[in-house]
Amino acid sequence: MYLARIDGTLTSTTRHETLEECQLLIGRRLDASGRAAAEPVVLLDRLGARRGSTVMVSTDGAAVRRRLGNTTPARLHVAGIVDCVTLAPEESLR
Amino acid sequence: MRLGVVCGHVVLNQAVESLRGTRFLMVEPVTAENLAARNGKGGGKTLVVADHLAPDRGELVAFVEGREGANAYWPNDVPIDAYCALIVKDFDFPLLPEQHTLPGTEVHG
Repeated sequence: MYLARIDGTLTSTTRHETLEECQLLIGRRLDASGRAAAEPVVLLDRLGARRGSTVMVSTDGAAVRRRLGNTTPARLHVAGIVDCVTLAPEESLR
Repeated sequence: MRLGVVCGHVVLNQAVESLRGTRFLMVEPVTAENLAARNGKGGGKTLVVADHLAPDRGELVAFVEGREGANAYWPNDVPIDAYCALIVKDFDFPLLPEQHTLPGTEVHG
């Protein structure tokens, strides 16, 4: 799992049949300092994340498969919307 | 899923039996910068993606990576780890300014 920031949305008319009812968002993975990764990812969401939301992304395709059926290829999904993050100060990790 | 631009197709001369009849695309993953610029460029490392949806060259697609890509062929067992799950019609993706903390971050010592 990792953290990502929701930056956008997308629409598509041609998609895998198991994804027809799904809300899709475009996000970018964040590192511990909050910097966004160079490549965006497409995420399934049913929690109602919005642009600017920080979310916890799960890469567990089995969880999606249980919900959308055995033939669904989807994997990344929003497993939670982040309220706050608590980090240990950098010097304590050395 | 990642986003990518379809930049070609792959035709196999010989293949393992379970892959016969499968369509393969060449897809170049798109960086956030190129996506926001809508310049049709990718910028990532090109990969081969199995496909059922038949996108045209230059179209933007979202592809799944990992074992889940083979789910689309269930119950057949295929050695596929990248699969084109949708063709993008439109998107809304501004390039947001860099942030340097996570939201609500508290540092506890």
